[in-house]
Amino acid sequence: MKRRRFPWFAYLVVILGAVAMVMPFLDMVMSSFKGAGEYGVIPYQFLPSSFDLANYREAFAQLELPRLFRNSVIVTVSVTVSVLVTSAMAGYALAKLRFRGRAVIFRFILATMMLPPFLLLIPTFLIMLNWPLAGGNDLLGRGGDGGLTTSLLALILPFTVSGFGIFLMRQFMVSLPDEMLEAAKIDGANQWQIWRLIVLPQTRPVAITLGLITFIGTWNEYIWTLLISSSDPSLQTLPVGIQLLQSFLDPDRTMPIVMAGLVISTLPVLVVFLLFQKYYVRGVVLSGLK
Amino acid sequence: MTSAVGRVGTLAVPAQRVGKLHREGRAAYLFLSPALLFFCVFLILPFLFAIVLAFSDWGGFDLGTLRWAGAANFGDVLSLDGTFVKPILVNTLLFAFGSVFLATFGSVLVAYCIDRLAFQGFWRVLYFLPVVATVVAIGNVWKMMYQPAGLINGVLNKLGVNSVGFLSDASYALPSVTVVHAWASIGGAVLILTAGLKAIPSQYYEAAEVDGAGSWHLFWSITLPLLRPALLFVLITQFIGGLQSFALIIVMTGDGGPVNATNVAAFEMYQRAFKYGAWGTASAMAMVLFVIILAITLLQLWIARRRGEETS
Repeated sequence: MKRRRFPWFAYLVVILGAVAMVMPFLDMVMSSFKGAGEYGVIPYQFLPSSFDLANYREAFAQLELPRLFRNSVIVTVSVTVSVLVTSAMAGYALAKLRFRGRAVIFRFILATMMLPPFLLLIPTFLIMLNWPLAGGNDLLGRGGDGGLTTSLLALILPFTVSGFGIFLMRQFMVSLPDEMLEAAKIDGANQWQIWRLIVLPQTRPVAITLGLITFIGTWNEYIWTLLISSSDPSLQTLPVGIQLLQSFLDPDRTMPIVMAGLVISTLPVLVVFLLFQKYYVRGVVLSGLK
Repeated sequence: MTSAVGRVGTLAVPAQRVGKLHREGRAAYLFLSPALLFFCVFLILPFLFAIVLAFSDWGGFDLGTLRWAGAANFGDVLSLDGTFVKPILVNTLLFAFGSVFLATFGSVLVAYCIDRLAFQGFWRVLYFLPVVATVVAIGNVWKMMYQPAGLINGVLNKLGVNSVGFLSDASYALPSVTVVHAWASIGGAVLILTAGLKAIPSQYYEAAEVDGAGSWHLFWSITLPLLRPALLFVLITQFIGGLQSFALIIVMTGDGGPVNATNVAAFEMYQRAFKYGAWGTASAMAMVLFVIILAITLLQLWIARRRGEETS
């Protein structure tokens, strides 16, 4: 093998770093089993005295976990499906169809990735609040209380299209052979049929990558959900619900329960990531190397 | 003149083909319509609205009461008597610079080391775990570890060091949060740098080794220069991320305390807007931060390009 220098030093660095990466998660799991007298005492004890599930039961009781879980699933699935469909549609047009303004639109979509989310936070919130004909608003967006912010749609709509997703799909579709599409055209297929029956099935690998990135990002979304659900707690998702649990309970008793909730909310993402990590990793690398 | 030829050319295109192209264009816009509609409503409209808000005076929810305020909001925000420039903007820059420095240094070291080990995929997955976790999990776990009875002080006490008030002591709070942000972003950077490392042809190393170059020499004169595109991407994206992130601060310190020690610009904007309803001031803060991000990004690209011209 090439370059086998300093392997012991490399092992030392990588193992020490890996301990620093994994240790907080182990502490999270261990703390989720700690009883009332075990958490927040000096000297610090890493291991709990027993592994009984009291904190997990308590998390279910305090948090209405099924409701949080349901909201998280609805929002995440809707956003992921919609990002996949809209990216595949726009990506196809940009990769395979000839039309006026193609270069301009492609550059515009690249530019959309440059606008930082914090800049759009305030105006987007106000737009949702004044959404016409929603939440009691009239046609001009006046008079109602809350507009779209009282519905789960407020957590879904602002994320239904992704500039990055369109870019990823477009890059992948450019490499699909034109002959195949031409053949379908000669057989009398229209563009919709070509897209649906020929192109879409071939995008599987890139769709898995984009789907995973979107799934994990949406499942973990925090600021926007916190904002929208601040006036309507029924819209909380797992991260927001768990974070707010702390504000009304004694910290030394709450922390283990919070940790149990966090273990529960991290597990789905972790399992999905470990199963498909190859695809997720590829997406991150693709985003870095264009 | 080409006009005659051109006209003949257009005439020569069969009518059928023109119709086909026309239909293809219509199909293309149909395929693009959901995306374009979305960008109009959730990108262009809010962006223009953000600019209007930054120059207006408005405290309510009825657009009829919105008044033009000129540059007054910017005067307030950038006034040295206020808290925005100092300590908040200074905090923001320290937080971003600090975490970019730690994450870049750490990820170059780790990516370079992993590249010469067995089970590379396994190691990379471990480093990637924080990238997959929600900021609520990361923030709370670290908050717990930083407490007097937490893991880190437990280790320090074992080593005979007194407990440190990582989040309660104003002089330690910002560095403590910065470390967590860097910790969480190392995994993504390692991946990008690994891809960059794999793209370096191994003949370069072999040739240099034949010439008797040592490990450090190989790293400085081959790895680092050839890694520059990947490194630049990591630096720019981490900077942008560091300057605008505040979710970790909400989770770890609640209100940006102790006494504004961990308050950053995007968080101040969030609080001014949604706690006090000061849309104008908050939007002016957002604009200032946006311009800073743009300026730093362009500066980095400019430096990178100049360096590139000097060496090549």
